Amino acid sequence: MPGALVAAGLAAYPAITLQAAPLVVSLGGLAVALFVAGQALPLPSVVAWALGLLAIEYLAALQLRSAGLDLAAPAYAAAFFLCAELGWLGLEARRGGRLWPGRAVAVVSLAVAGAALGALVLLLAAVQMAGGALLTGVGVTAAVAVAACLAWLARRQP
Amino acid sequence: MNALPSSGGWATTTSGRLSAYLGLGGAGLLAGLLLSRPEPVILAVPLLLAAALGLVLARPPQLQVAVRLDRARALEGEDVELEVEVRALMPAARLELEVRLPTGLLELASPPEQVSTLASGEVRLYRRRLLCSRWGGRLVGHVRIGVRDPLGFFTYREEGRHELPLRVYPRPEALRQLVRPMETQVFAGNEVSRRKGDGVEFADIRPFVPGDRVRRINWRSSARRNGLYVNEMRPEQNADVVLFLDTFTDLRRSAKGDSSLELAVRAAAALVDLYMHRRDRVGLVGFGGTLRWLRPAMGERQLYRLVDALIDTEVVLSYAWKGLEVIPSRTLPPKSLVVALSPLLDDRTVGALFDLRGRGYDLAVVELTPLAFVPPGRRETEKLAYRLWDMQREALRGRFLEMGVAVTTWRPGESLDAALTPVSTFRRASRLVRP
Repeated sequence: MPGALVAAGLAAYPAITLQAAPLVVSLGGLAVALFVAGQALPLPSVVAWALGLLAIEYLAALQLRSAGLDLAAPAYAAAFFLCAELGWLGLEARRGGRLWPGRAVAVVSLAVAGAALGALVLLLAAVQMAGGALLTGVGVTAAVAVAACLAWLARRQP
Repeated sequence: MNALPSSGGWATTTSGRLSAYLGLGGAGLLAGLLLSRPEPVILAVPLLLAAALGLVLARPPQLQVAVRLDRARALEGEDVELEVEVRALMPAARLELEVRLPTGLLELASPPEQVSTLASGEVRLYRRRLLCSRWGGRLVGHVRIGVRDPLGFFTYREEGRHELPLRVYPRPEALRQLVRPMETQVFAGNEVSRRKGDGVEFADIRPFVPGDRVRRINWRSSARRNGLYVNEMRPEQNADVVLFLDTFTDLRRSAKGDSSLELAVRAAAALVDLYMHRRDRVGLVGFGGTLRWLRPAMGERQLYRLVDALIDTEVVLSYAWKGLEVIPSRTLPPKSLVVALSPLLDDRTVGALFDLRGRGYDLAVVELTPLAFVPPGRRETEKLAYRLWDMQREALRGRFLEMGVAVTTWRPGESLDAALTPVSTFRRASRLVRP
């Protein structure tokens, strides 16, 4: 189960590098347990919840310690994406599905591209800018635009 | 060959992964706004990127599928090759092919994984060797195709029924001897007639009468008896044979073993083949839920007609049951030999056979004994019931014998040749009496 190993690594990261509180670390433990259970049963929704808990553990560790920007966030995001993909590949393998070379290449490329885009976001966040309602509005508009684009793409599918 | 473009009516299934990525990605964006931190957005980026790319790249596939069989007819136990040709009109990232086989056809070897990636315009051939394990008419070519999009978010499925006919003929039972008919018809054949006439088989001698040919005079007998004696001969003629197939009941002991109907059809196929080779006219009566018949005839066309009729034989339940009276008289010609293949379980069949004998037909019965298909049981009462049933069947066979009908019992695994020997023995010692 390579997905579970990556999930364990992701759960351990806030505890090791961010010195997260035991309660937060226990969230990571729960996430790994859910991930393994989701793979074993197999239940896709449980895997999705496990991924959500892993993200919550990471963000809670950052927020509770009021830490500055995490420079490893793009790498964490790429690992998080790989963990999700491995989880779903494991579920598909239980139903007889197999990874094909094109998809493997696409997954790795997406992880790298995601990390690169994440690094760009991190760079933008590191730039000292005066905040305000306008900038927040732009951010909200961008988020809504992303959601609207995805909704429009999803509607095109039969 | 049967080629159909995919109808475009693809059933699309969306992976739960897409909704999970969209949900987690959306939550990440929201969390970024609420926490005023970039990390949730960074976490969401690869997920949203994958979802967006998946949605952009996903297209319902366009394929042309053609199915071919290397032949339309095969003998039971032989194998045929099924070829599925898939032509991609658009790239297909991952194509999975599954051929669904009708009963009676088995995969010879476990199929290789029928998965491939097709570029636009690419043609891929999938070959499968199928074993014809049971006789019968089959429709082959039920193909299920599954295509995934490049990122595996969507699965497009389609089922195509190409329906190529495959007729599997029964493997004939090894047979050397036949039930010989009591009476022959007027056409030339291989059966030595009981009547005297022009022929090559010696029958008897008799005193010369004016009009007899000189070449028929038996000079040795004439010299010994001080008078002219001539040879009498028997002509070789053909016979009319009607195979009576009981399709009311089908008994089966195990899933793998032959059923009583399968045995009957196999025996009928062997009898048809041998009688036709003797230039006899052969007909068929399928007596069951539906009454089917073929008038006696000879020739290769009749052989194919009979075998085709045999492989379409099945047990059909019908409340509109019809008796022998609806069969045209030419289907059961006078002086024909009727060979019945039946488990003698249904009263209607037994009644019809008594009826045929009552009408003066030369009848022989091959009983596919139901006792071979039913275990005697373990308890004493079950064993007793089994013995009583056996006795009841013995009494039924006795009734047939009393009427001058030869009955033989054929068990699965036994040779038909051996089963027919008692019939020949019985008929050699008997003569046909018309009631």
